[in-house]
Amino acid sequence: MTYQSEKSLELLRIGSGSPGARFRDGQEEAIRHIVEGRGRLLVVQSTGWGKSFVYFIAARLLREEGNGPALLISPLLSLMRNQIAAAHRMGVRAATINSDNLDEWSDVEERFGKNEIDILLISPERLANERFRTQVLARIAGQISLLVIDEAHCISDWGHDFRPHYRLLERIVRSLPPNLRLLATTATANNRVLADLASVLGPRLEVSRGDLNRSSLSLQTISLPSQAERLAWLAEQLGTLQGHGIIYTLTVRDAEQVAGWLKSRGHVVEAYTGQTGPGREELEEALLHNRVKALVATTALGMGYDKPDLAFVVHYQSPGSVVAYYQQAGRAGRALNAAYGVLLSGEEETNITDWFIKSAFPSRREVAAVLEALEKEPDGLSVPEIMARVNVSKGRIEKTMALLSLESPAPMAKQGHKWQLTAAKLSEGFWERAERLTALRRTEQEQMQEYVRLPFGEHMGFLVRALDGDPSGVTPPPLAPLPTTVDEGVVREAVAYLCRDGLPFEPRKKWPDGGMPQYGVKGFIAQGHLAQPGRALSILGDAGWGGDVGRGRSLDLHFSHELVDACVKMMGEWNPQTYPTWVTCIPSLRHPDLVPDFARRLADALGLPFHVVLAKTNHRPEQKTMANSSQQARNIDGSLAFCAPRLPRRGPLFLVDDLVDSRWTFTVASWLLRSHGSGEVWPVALAQAGRE
Amino acid sequence: MMALPLSPNAQAILLLTAPLMVGHAPLSPDLLTPGEYNCLARHLRELGRQPADLLSSDDGDLFRACQPVMDEGRLGRLVRRGFLLSQVVERWESRAIWVMSRADAEYPRRLKGRLREDAPPLLYGCGDIRLLTSGGLAVVGSRQTNHPVIEYTMAAGNLAARCGRTLVSGGAKGIDQAAMDGALAAGGNVVGVLADSLEKVALKRENRNSIVEEQLVLISPYDPCAGFTVGHAMQRNKVIYALADAALVVSSDVNKGGTWAGAVEQLDKLRLLPVYVRSTGESSKGLDALREKGALPWPNPQDAGEFEALFSPTMVNPPATQGSLSLFPEK
Repeated sequence: MTYQSEKSLELLRIGSGSPGARFRDGQEEAIRHIVEGRGRLLVVQSTGWGKSFVYFIAARLLREEGNGPALLISPLLSLMRNQIAAAHRMGVRAATINSDNLDEWSDVEERFGKNEIDILLISPERLANERFRTQVLARIAGQISLLVIDEAHCISDWGHDFRPHYRLLERIVRSLPPNLRLLATTATANNRVLADLASVLGPRLEVSRGDLNRSSLSLQTISLPSQAERLAWLAEQLGTLQGHGIIYTLTVRDAEQVAGWLKSRGHVVEAYTGQTGPGREELEEALLHNRVKALVATTALGMGYDKPDLAFVVHYQSPGSVVAYYQQAGRAGRALNAAYGVLLSGEEETNITDWFIKSAFPSRREVAAVLEALEKEPDGLSVPEIMARVNVSKGRIEKTMALLSLESPAPMAKQGHKWQLTAAKLSEGFWERAERLTALRRTEQEQMQEYVRLPFGEHMGFLVRALDGDPSGVTPPPLAPLPTTVDEGVVREAVAYLCRDGLPFEPRKKWPDGGMPQYGVKGFIAQGHLAQPGRALSILGDAGWGGDVGRGRSLDLHFSHELVDACVKMMGEWNPQTYPTWVTCIPSLRHPDLVPDFARRLADALGLPFHVVLAKTNHRPEQKTMANSSQQARNIDGSLAFCAPRLPRRGPLFLVDDLVDSRWTFTVASWLLRSHGSGEVWPVALAQAGRE
Repeated sequence: MMALPLSPNAQAILLLTAPLMVGHAPLSPDLLTPGEYNCLARHLRELGRQPADLLSSDDGDLFRACQPVMDEGRLGRLVRRGFLLSQVVERWESRAIWVMSRADAEYPRRLKGRLREDAPPLLYGCGDIRLLTSGGLAVVGSRQTNHPVIEYTMAAGNLAARCGRTLVSGGAKGIDQAAMDGALAAGGNVVGVLADSLEKVALKRENRNSIVEEQLVLISPYDPCAGFTVGHAMQRNKVIYALADAALVVSSDVNKGGTWAGAVEQLDKLRLLPVYVRSTGESSKGLDALREKGALPWPNPQDAGEFEALFSPTMVNPPATQGSLSLFPEK
């Protein structure tokens, strides 16, 4: 097909909204390369360079010549929304099918069927989805004329954010015939990743690679071990920073906590995480139009988010690798002369990245358990059925299935909604790769700690070298370093803030699959037998009260009076209605006095009577040793009983326990209490069990 | 287990002829029939080109050069199904299903040599392909049959296994299954040639275990997701005979059904191998009719020596029409 230069430039000008726009270095060559079908192309250019112009213009030109639509695979939803709008301006009919727009699927499918869509954007997870592949994609797969793989570095085992579903993409690419147009794009790829990509995408891969140095960025690292110090630093510095920016945290909970704290200090910020839901788009817009000072975000605020005048990116904790950091910090100052990239380094970050590293792959025990369960069932098993058979958490089971089924050949495959063993065995290569990747993650973690220790002025050079770029053009930071100390008074207030928060948890509304045979219950729990929403004072082992709870449980075998006071304060702020008139607690055979003693003192402090009405009927392992909800439900079935001759009071009550994890204990206890005629049951726990 | 990644010729043949089934998506109306494909392949050979050349990006000249035998637009639409191809290949691969084309070196020689242009352009399978080159005893029969015949068939499969011969059968319920079960139970090797549903059958637990143990290979000339059709079942019979060195028919209708048609084709036309019919138990009009057409009575061998003799009978009719086809696989 012949490339039309004028048409191409016209599209660029319409798309960028600037009548005098010209192509950037390499852009037009890339479009021409794709349109003329000269073979596979890899574009390595920083975000903001305009990779999307390349594939949108190419898709449009291909369509005008009667070719089929393009398919773009990207892990980033936020990117998709922004890009669809940009495509629309160029008259490129773009659409997406993702888990957020189920209601639009049939419309998109229909438009696709009528040949009314020029480019379809989907995530790699969607591409791996059996239903999507067999029922939606299969109808249109035969017409796709261009495949675009965004964030192509994820294909490489050596990529900094290896995503399991890119294994599938790798296999798809390997079986693509050479006549299918393929464009891969990424913002960062060191030499090792490039070599990997060349081996997957083919020896005749053409590479277009840009400069890594970012002269507008002033990079700085500040070590502030405790969360309270970093909260204080943010509260003090946020107001002094020019413009608008992003504060990155490693976990959803941190994002919410930091945002909550900064709001309480009068800053206009919002939390943005993968759990923010449909409000994400609005938040992106708010930052884009400077209606918030900053978004406090996890990496859910993705690589494709493009705000050219973003003035700062501050990290609340260090990310796991130099590449991840470069990409996140690199979002600042794209169209500014100067911007800050500040990394605050704290004591918990190593634990968090350790956890991410350790949980990236299932253990041999988990894999063996799942395979053994499948071996016993010739007709296969669904995930809930596996949960009922193996003591592995739902998340871990799903991760195991996802990773194993992406092996090639895979030891298991999904037929309908059940998993079945295939005629292949899991190769030792799976474990070798897991070990290699784990070792790589460790190296990256160490490299990041090295970065944290660098003196001001040396950061950009370090990053460029680490990414195999050319450091010769690196210039000194354009801005002065920010203060590295914090006000002790603000730190104390931050400590108080961290201890203040209670965590709400919702009651369970349904008995487990298969019910609880010993209690003779199944299906939905009757409305009148449900627990009310509960509160936990802390997260076990966490900053704030989490540490005190842990010590009380395992060392002192006594909960301190500070915890009683903290609970009273939390319950005062919570003030559930109708307000309880008495207190009871969950019994334990392991530590018969620990919780009742605490509950009695709490009741005294609240001025409410305390009564023991529940008993543990037999000894069971601790709930937290049960890895998934089915196992936890089975572990609790029949283990609690109502032991009072009659209910001492009929009114609403607080039901106290030390830990809440699966919520089955509270669910069963509430059901017992309510079926014996109690009023509403309000669960209170000292701590929520850890992650997942 | 192998045959992936696909050779460029296999990719081209898949794009041109294979339905590439995923879910219930409508099939391309452009697919080439085996006859059309053979015609195109001959034309390409005359041009000094091969199917893979159709996939070098934007080779407009070659498409035009094929216009005399095949519509350019139709060819273009077929080879542009590349993304769909990647989708189905990935699906097969993840289920340990391989595919190979007649143009691949691994393609069983005895199929190419014996069937020529009737050799399926594509062969899908699951299991160890080395089993396909081992020849052996083909056992065929109709689906519905009675218990004594099933036992007789199992015993035949069992004997083949004990004599170290591969058992080739159709993988259908009834006779096919009995023969295969008999052979597998005795630790023998089995080739199951399926007319449909390879994906489903390969995942069945009893098959899956035998495949993993490298005792069983399931193959099919048809898409792993294809359903049953009578035409496929008939074509598949050719492959069963071509992979074996001797055949035993344990039951058959007269003048109808796939078993009858397949056996008659061997006896009257192809004459690739000695064809035996069951000689004990309940009599059968179908088997008697095959006897009249030259089938041999199964001599009920009792040991390995007698069994081996079946493979080189003294009284096979010489090939009548297809003189160029050799009786036994060339080396």
